[in-house]
Amino acid sequence: MTKRLDGGLIDRSKPLNFTFNGKKMQGFQGDTLASGLIANGQKIVGRSFKYHRPRGIFTSGSEEPNALVQLRSGAHQEPNTRATVAELFEGLTATSQNHRGSLENDIMGGIDLLSPFLSAGFYYKTFMWPKSFWEKVYEPFIRSSAGLGRLSMEVDPDSYDKGHAHCDVLVIGSGPAGLMAALSAAKSGAEVIFADEDALMGGRLNAETFEVGGQSGSEWAAATVAELSSMSNVRVMNRTTVYGSYDHGIYGALERRTDHLVSSNGKPRQIAWKIYSKRAILCAGATERSIAFGNNDRPGIMLSGSVRTYANRFAVTPGQSVAILTNNDDGWRTAADLHAKGVDLAAVVDTRDTSPLGSFTGASIVTGAAVKDTKGRKGLQNITLTNGQTIQADCLAVAGGWNPNVHLTCHQRGRPTWNEDLSAFVPGGELPPGMIVAGSANGTYGLAGCLAEGRDAANTTVKDLGFTASRTQAPKAEDEASSVTPIWHVPAGKSRCWIDLQNDVSSKDVKLASSEGYRSVELLKRYTTLGMATDQGKTANVLGLAVLAEAQGKSIPETGTTIFRPPYTPVAMGALGGRAVGLDFRPFRLTPSHKWAEENGATFVEAGMWLRAQWYAKTGEQGWRDSVDREVIATRKSVGICDVTTLGKIDIQGKDAAAFLNKVYANAFGKLAAGKVRYGLMLREDGIVMDDGTTACMAENHYVMTTTTANAGPVFRHLDFCRQVLYPDMDVHIISVTDGWAQFAVAGPNARKLLQKVVDEQHDISNEGFPFMACGEISVCGGVPSRLFRISFSGEMAYEIAVPSQYGDDMIRALMSAGEEFDAVPYGTEALGVMRIEKGHAAGNELTGQTSALNLGLGGMVSKNKDCIGKTLSKRPDMNRDDVWNLVGLQPVDKSVPLNAGAHFLEKGAEPNMTNDLGWMTSVAYSPSLGYSIGLGFVKAGSTRKGDVIRAWDAMRKKDVDVEIVSAHFIDPEGERLRA
Amino acid sequence: MIINHPLLGPRDSSEFYHMGDAVLMDRPDPEAENAAEQFHDYAYLRDNPAGEYRELWYHEQGDRSWLVVTRDTLTHEISSVELAREVARAQGRSK
Amino acid sequence: MPDFTLTEKPALGGFDHDFDGTSLKENVGLAIVSVAIPLGGDDAVAEALKSAYGADTPVVGDSSLSKDGATRIIRTATDQLFVLFQHETPDAAQIVAGKLGDAGYYVDQTHNWVGLTLDGPLSRAALERVCAMNLHKDRFPLNKAERTVMEHMGAIVARTGEDAFLLLSASSSAGSYLHAIETSLKYVS
Repeated sequence: MTKRLDGGLIDRSKPLNFTFNGKKMQGFQGDTLASGLIANGQKIVGRSFKYHRPRGIFTSGSEEPNALVQLRSGAHQEPNTRATVAELFEGLTATSQNHRGSLENDIMGGIDLLSPFLSAGFYYKTFMWPKSFWEKVYEPFIRSSAGLGRLSMEVDPDSYDKGHAHCDVLVIGSGPAGLMAALSAAKSGAEVIFADEDALMGGRLNAETFEVGGQSGSEWAAATVAELSSMSNVRVMNRTTVYGSYDHGIYGALERRTDHLVSSNGKPRQIAWKIYSKRAILCAGATERSIAFGNNDRPGIMLSGSVRTYANRFAVTPGQSVAILTNNDDGWRTAADLHAKGVDLAAVVDTRDTSPLGSFTGASIVTGAAVKDTKGRKGLQNITLTNGQTIQADCLAVAGGWNPNVHLTCHQRGRPTWNEDLSAFVPGGELPPGMIVAGSANGTYGLAGCLAEGRDAANTTVKDLGFTASRTQAPKAEDEASSVTPIWHVPAGKSRCWIDLQNDVSSKDVKLASSEGYRSVELLKRYTTLGMATDQGKTANVLGLAVLAEAQGKSIPETGTTIFRPPYTPVAMGALGGRAVGLDFRPFRLTPSHKWAEENGATFVEAGMWLRAQWYAKTGEQGWRDSVDREVIATRKSVGICDVTTLGKIDIQGKDAAAFLNKVYANAFGKLAAGKVRYGLMLREDGIVMDDGTTACMAENHYVMTTTTANAGPVFRHLDFCRQVLYPDMDVHIISVTDGWAQFAVAGPNARKLLQKVVDEQHDISNEGFPFMACGEISVCGGVPSRLFRISFSGEMAYEIAVPSQYGDDMIRALMSAGEEFDAVPYGTEALGVMRIEKGHAAGNELTGQTSALNLGLGGMVSKNKDCIGKTLSKRPDMNRDDVWNLVGLQPVDKSVPLNAGAHFLEKGAEPNMTNDLGWMTSVAYSPSLGYSIGLGFVKAGSTRKGDVIRAWDAMRKKDVDVEIVSAHFIDPEGERLRA
Repeated sequence: MIINHPLLGPRDSSEFYHMGDAVLMDRPDPEAENAAEQFHDYAYLRDNPAGEYRELWYHEQGDRSWLVVTRDTLTHEISSVELAREVARAQGRSK
Repeated sequence: MPDFTLTEKPALGGFDHDFDGTSLKENVGLAIVSVAIPLGGDDAVAEALKSAYGADTPVVGDSSLSKDGATRIIRTATDQLFVLFQHETPDAAQIVAGKLGDAGYYVDQTHNWVGLTLDGPLSRAALERVCAMNLHKDRFPLNKAERTVMEHMGAIVARTGEDAFLLLSASSSAGSYLHAIETSLKYVS
């Protein structure tokens, strides 16, 4: 461990052990992995993305392009984490990425020698030919060299969550401007959320030696954060990155809850917050930029402000002999701070022709010159200046000026504008509604200015919201010197001058792109990948733009600017998914008989959110077909019971209820008597079938409508639209009762006998007393209220019986017990499907959103005597041609051959093409009642073609079967069973 | 997105279902001479304006009211939210 | 008389658990009856509520209590109210209809819903993980009752005490709803 400097905001009483590439190291509480690595003398921390060049730590914050490492191990392993923001904890294991062999001797390092061939657009130019090389040579090569870190390939063992937070004022960033903004807003009484990505709030105050109100900046920050934390109207969120600005004052924020801990202890590791703000004050600070000179990417070359951060906050120095290259006053502060900490300075090189702003023992002071090139493959050894001078140094602090962090101002297409005085882009005129910007994010660089601007921004904001601004005064502080004369690029002959370190883009690439015609900055980005890495070019974009401007002989504002998208820094997919993983992806709806079904061998199928019993396997059955065939046969022979609770049930009441049903159903409902059920066909306004079901008239002005399971929600929405918007003066009221009733179909010749054992005896359910399509409010099992409907989907004599759903579990048990003497079976959705195909009932496969009533053979149901939704357009000539598809039954000529749904119909001998297409098979099933495969399908003019043999041609499964067109009613075509 | 519900105040858009152009309120008269043509336009033709747009939203996970929301498609700024039932009545719809 | 008897089984089996001083409990025996207000019948319903329950008619998004505090009336929509009270037998709609007469249209909603009572200092922190509404004490005052969505499930949230909330959600997804609230409580406790 190298010697620590004095001071700093680390806790020396809490040493922490960690490893990097297996090497044991020690740091302190308060360190980041980066400061820990620096303290242990680690220069190289990774290899660059494209050329595998050795890279070190470049910054001290979330803008880091170089120091991407893998943290932890096993399933917890996380690739591409910035060492500069990873807090150190006891036992942390970190490894470097993107090298084969050791980090120091990466065998892929030779790629760098090929760089003349790997220039911008190299992929587009190189992998064009020969075509056959793509799959076998190029793609495997690219795949094996692509990416940085590696995924663990195991399931992420951590949990994540989301949350919703509300505030009047969101303050983003906790530097001097943010602290003053939060304090002033909070004291006005507004609800404040105060967020910063750092664990330690205070922003640059923790990295500088400034005084605020007679205290050190960091002390003032800590005291102010403590004050804010004690206020009930303030929510202080450290370790929270506000990553995106969305519509109507909504911000996305990622809170890292346990990343700094050894273990999450079962709590969410990260929380993705949706913050609802009335106003937001962006105090995101500024990011320093580099200068492009030869080999400016060597380990040991670092941004100047970051060198200062390491010295002041973390009490480490990245070098024992530090040189500084600056084009502005700020670089001199690094020199002064390092000098004060006793760090040896090799040189201060100011590119401006200015008188030196300081003198430091042992340091060469050079003005009007720049660094041209550097040496030191695995760590900086020396720098060569434009004046020819060579200076030994193991660290070069580069101060290229500061760029306001305008990112969030761009998320709703706001474009930053160029400020000539600052030589930087500042927030443009069009900010996201409700946002104002303060402090250095707004281009105000002096400390006193930041404090005052933060307070003023808060006061403006809270007044706007109707609060009285507090009289909070900004503490006394001074504005530091920040004059800058930009220099962007120092041409260095053959040496490459790096611009985007994360994506390995050099000034040559930018110039090449420009000369090849990629003149727009948006095209430049995509061609060179400049700014397209996970850091979105935080340290690179403006530099790249400047080099492009230089290449085109234009000014920077003339050349353009790029804007930023969310997220500000990378957000893990796991955090966006939150807790919605695995079985928690979405809710499950369970039928009232679910528990009983589980106990009785049911296999469940997802139907929307519902879990429905698909079939009930019995011991000895070889597969699902055995169970399904048995359930169908037993139902048709005696009696079967199916939970049909999932069908949508809508209670409809009101003086205009009947008139309303007449509007929403194609068939007439005006005269449905109490105690009667009617099949209803619902159309969309374009004449296509929307849904079907039955509606029971329970009493005058009181109906219960059923919908298909899938359409329960959409139909309800549609009915509400009709009653509120199309017929706003109808007295009609709807409410869902789907979950309120446990409803069971009891079907088969013995259905009545079975039900008579549970229905209270005063209710006559005989065929005479309760005929087909009757309904009524009855009671069962000694007074439990119940609803009984004499309807049938299976084609058998059948009832649907409903009890309040909390009685459902007992009810299925009672029905099954009562049915024992009849060998009653429960049946699932598969048997239900088989029986409806045998009966020729249309279901989801037929109600595809393309089929009309006429297609379904229900054309006659569309009433001629009244208006209804969909009536006018259902009369369109093209939907009523003689050759429209008709729903028919189909059976194989060779009964041993199974049919396939999806097959297309052709005349025998006709070539399979669109012109000859006659329609398609919608549903098929093996009919245990008939002993062969049957199908339903749409055939052109099919209703006139009974007995014809056509081909069912299935290109996907390579089947070609002769089928006969028959009635869709395979079973009991006259409907005698249902009326029995 | 946030929709400022006329009765309930600002609500997250996750509570709403979006149906599209508010012209869907203007169901043509089926007795009109050119009813088929009118219904064709009603069912199929929509404008796609860059700017102010009136559209129907359903507060499905709320008070179940249909709303007419006037939104600028360029900025997403919502300038007015009205109860569709009242708008429909004002436009002369009844039973 | 049939040989079978049926018993009601609460959707969550009477769930009752404490999370660091915040309790989550299934509200067993909570009857819910919806009252649709006929077109133009607002005054009649208001009068009926006043005389039957001594209660004011709440505005949408709000609730009121009967004079004896035993019945809560939630305005779920401009033309719909929910009447909630403890009641053991499956005749809640008749009870309410008996009190309010022909002022409204009645539908028993008891079995459509599962009710949970969440009470304690962690209640808001737990709910904000799954609920987009602002439940701040001042913004969601006592007796506020709003319908919203949590984890894809529709829900009604009513503030019934300082840190107490009545939560209603669909009975078919009661297990998933409990899981959502329970997970939140585990995460924040």
